[in-house]
Amino acid sequence: MGRNFFRRRKLKQESAEGEDFSTEIGVDLEKNLQDLQTMIGSPEDLVIHRLNLGFNVKAAVAFISGLSNKEAIHNDLIKNLLRNREKEAGSDTPDELIKQLKLDLISIGSVEQTNSLDKLTIDLLSGKSVVYVEGTAEALLMGTEKWETRSIDEPISESLIRGPREGFVENLQTNMMLIRRHIRDPNLRFDTSEVGRRSKKKLVVCYVDGIVNPDMVKEVDRRLSSIDMDSAMESGYIEQWIEDSYLSPFPQMDNTERPDKVASAVLQGKVSILLDGSPFALIAPITIANAFKSPEDYYDRWLIGTFLRVIRYIGAFITMFLPALYIALVSYHQGMIPSQLAFSIAATREGVPFPAFVEALIMGLTMELLREAGARLPRTIGQTIGIVGGLVIGEAAVSAGIVSPIMVIVVALTAVASFTIPLYSVAISFRLLRFGFMFAAAVLGLYGIVLVYIMINIHIVNLKSMGVPYSTPFAPSFIKDWKDLVLRGPIPMMNERPRNLKPKDTTSGNLRR
Amino acid sequence: MSDFKYGDETISSREIMIALPAVTIGVGILSLPREIALLTVGADGWIALLVAGIMITVITWMTSKLAASYPGETFLSYSSKLVTKPVSILFSLILVMQSLLLSAYVIRVIAEIAKAYLFDRTPLEVISLTFLLVVVYAVSGSRAGLFRLNMLFFPIIVLITFILSLFSFGWFEMDNLFPIFETGVRDQIKATEISGLAFVGFNILFFYITLVKDTKKVPKASVHGMLMVIGLYLLIFFVNLGVFGNAVTGNLVYPLIELAKEIEIPGGFFERFDSFFFVIWIMAIFNTTAMSVDVSIYALQPFTKLKKQTLLFCMAPLIYIIGMVPEGSIEVAKLGTFIGYFGIISSSGITLILFTISKIRRGRKKEHAAK
Repeated sequence: MGRNFFRRRKLKQESAEGEDFSTEIGVDLEKNLQDLQTMIGSPEDLVIHRLNLGFNVKAAVAFISGLSNKEAIHNDLIKNLLRNREKEAGSDTPDELIKQLKLDLISIGSVEQTNSLDKLTIDLLSGKSVVYVEGTAEALLMGTEKWETRSIDEPISESLIRGPREGFVENLQTNMMLIRRHIRDPNLRFDTSEVGRRSKKKLVVCYVDGIVNPDMVKEVDRRLSSIDMDSAMESGYIEQWIEDSYLSPFPQMDNTERPDKVASAVLQGKVSILLDGSPFALIAPITIANAFKSPEDYYDRWLIGTFLRVIRYIGAFITMFLPALYIALVSYHQGMIPSQLAFSIAATREGVPFPAFVEALIMGLTMELLREAGARLPRTIGQTIGIVGGLVIGEAAVSAGIVSPIMVIVVALTAVASFTIPLYSVAISFRLLRFGFMFAAAVLGLYGIVLVYIMINIHIVNLKSMGVPYSTPFAPSFIKDWKDLVLRGPIPMMNERPRNLKPKDTTSGNLRR
Repeated sequence: MSDFKYGDETISSREIMIALPAVTIGVGILSLPREIALLTVGADGWIALLVAGIMITVITWMTSKLAASYPGETFLSYSSKLVTKPVSILFSLILVMQSLLLSAYVIRVIAEIAKAYLFDRTPLEVISLTFLLVVVYAVSGSRAGLFRLNMLFFPIIVLITFILSLFSFGWFEMDNLFPIFETGVRDQIKATEISGLAFVGFNILFFYITLVKDTKKVPKASVHGMLMVIGLYLLIFFVNLGVFGNAVTGNLVYPLIELAKEIEIPGGFFERFDSFFFVIWIMAIFNTTAMSVDVSIYALQPFTKLKKQTLLFCMAPLIYIIGMVPEGSIEVAKLGTFIGYFGIISSSGITLILFTISKIRRGRKKEHAAK
């Protein structure tokens, strides 16, 4: 893993090898168009318009039809080119002509001049249109990108009761706009780079200069520059490439569809990574405490926010421990269960042929199956499967004598509890760890459970996210950060940014004013 | 990443403050009330406990003062300045042995208690081995990680002790604490001696203070750490004596765990709180063991030039074998007493020798400077 970080990026386009065309733009217009077509294999959606600029100066406009704004190309670009032909083409040399055109075509938006076929092709494939002029080795690139996108929608994976309803979309520009609408600080930075040998997707590192610790940005940049892969389909690719430990069950970066969450994170001194084509932004660094935080905590009053957090911590413990506790108590420490309850558990387990561990494993797996099936199926059917399937299987399993009713309660409670954790990727880890606890409980009872708990703690204290220990701010303890940990302090009192991120600007407000 | 130093291998004085009680509180206190109660009348044992605690606190202060006056230097380097190289090697080997024996003893005791309170059929060896493996996993990680574990687990230990004490109030009888001041001086001294054994573990200071950045705060922090131990021990002692009385406490093998058995947690979730209490207490015992193993590895490293992990994998079987040698709980208890005496005498002795010599040296230097 470490070695990969230092691997240099390959800059050369490998597809250019072995074919007979130059990678430079020449002076011959027809040859240039030929080269372009050879390079990208003359696809159907490549549109080439040949024009005459007058005095026999030939020109051509090329663009990819699905990626470009045809109206703009026809109305602004081509009309402008033709309108100016009397004025310019006669006197100047082609090189000066193209410079003049660059100034005249300002109405298009961005205009760039290049002589590299590589750059030209990549830009063309990302939606720009190209203007060639006969007799010059320069070409103009026009910013005419426009394609179909999904409109801004409510984030599906993170729904809140109270809070903004906007979610990120697949378009990077829109996503940047959504963040900008939350922070109008001139220090808000969007550092753009490209990722993917073949996909050449845009990747943006977002932070607020003057708040974030510069070392953090440097570290993120260093890791990002080590990425070398064909394509990053989703920000998850980026996350997995730059994370600290790929052996850990815990995610070391947060992902979110919510612009408000990104905005509040960068204002705290974190760094966010956005990838074109992905509605999920990454936020780094995170600690284990982030798994229990949701934007909603801050939108409701502090008492409610604190209560919700406590509920989530309890939820996490139930998710991990409840089935294991059941196994341990039933198979090793019957004496610990109050006698009334012990009798009723024993009575219901009367006809069950399996040991508690097998029983719990069957139900646990069934629950995971149902959940996975519910996620895969179309939404309307999915809900039916979830509820009806759960009920039917639970009910039938009990009456068939495969599991005891108390096991159904345990499994149902575990399932409900696991949904309380806002960070989905952590919730999955907890569900996975639950099976570890179950095995330990089956082998060594309560003793096994506490040993596994200690092991998870050992893992957490050794894990880091972008160099920040995963167990902060519990330990290493930052007591000032504790007012936004399990407790969520009243908003006027949270006038300092988290100390564990070592922000350059530590205060975010002033209570006394 | 210069600004994220706290993620590195350095520790703060606050972490030392937590590490001390985390190491000291372990298996000793589980049986300590019995040992004190056997020698004293009523609840008089608190005097012995307090005196022993204060003495150890003074020695702890000396140890940390000594180590902190050589910031950034290892035990070997500053002690060889004071008492020649061979003697300092001897000293550090004694300290290493103390930690190794302590960890071996602890993994044995945890199995004994687990057998008594959690399961009866699981063999001792398996219980010890699994525990040792978890300790090995912890030690093979980063050293700073161990200190973070202390910080995570110690509050839980304090909390469970407070919960236990709180719910014991219903069973607490003032009469059990009387008569007062009836114990003879000789018995008090004997009880003080026994109490001192439960404070074994501060030898980690000799080695870990090297890693601390803000050394000036360390002596104060370690005194605070020790005071926490005394406070917690006194609380446990009083609650034990108050609930059971002197005679009963003297006959219980692990009075603290029995206390958890006696009380009833409202709500009726647990029929027996003792198993649960012991399971939580395993975290305290884990901290003791992990720190002891780590400190012995840390102290041995300069001699062997081996990697930390390699050394650890060599030491772990040794610890396991030592832990498995005693047969029966009487021999285990004997080993415990031996380790207590050995630990307290050797660490206090080394501290006193080094501290005195360093004071004399400093004094001479000042005289020279004055002349």
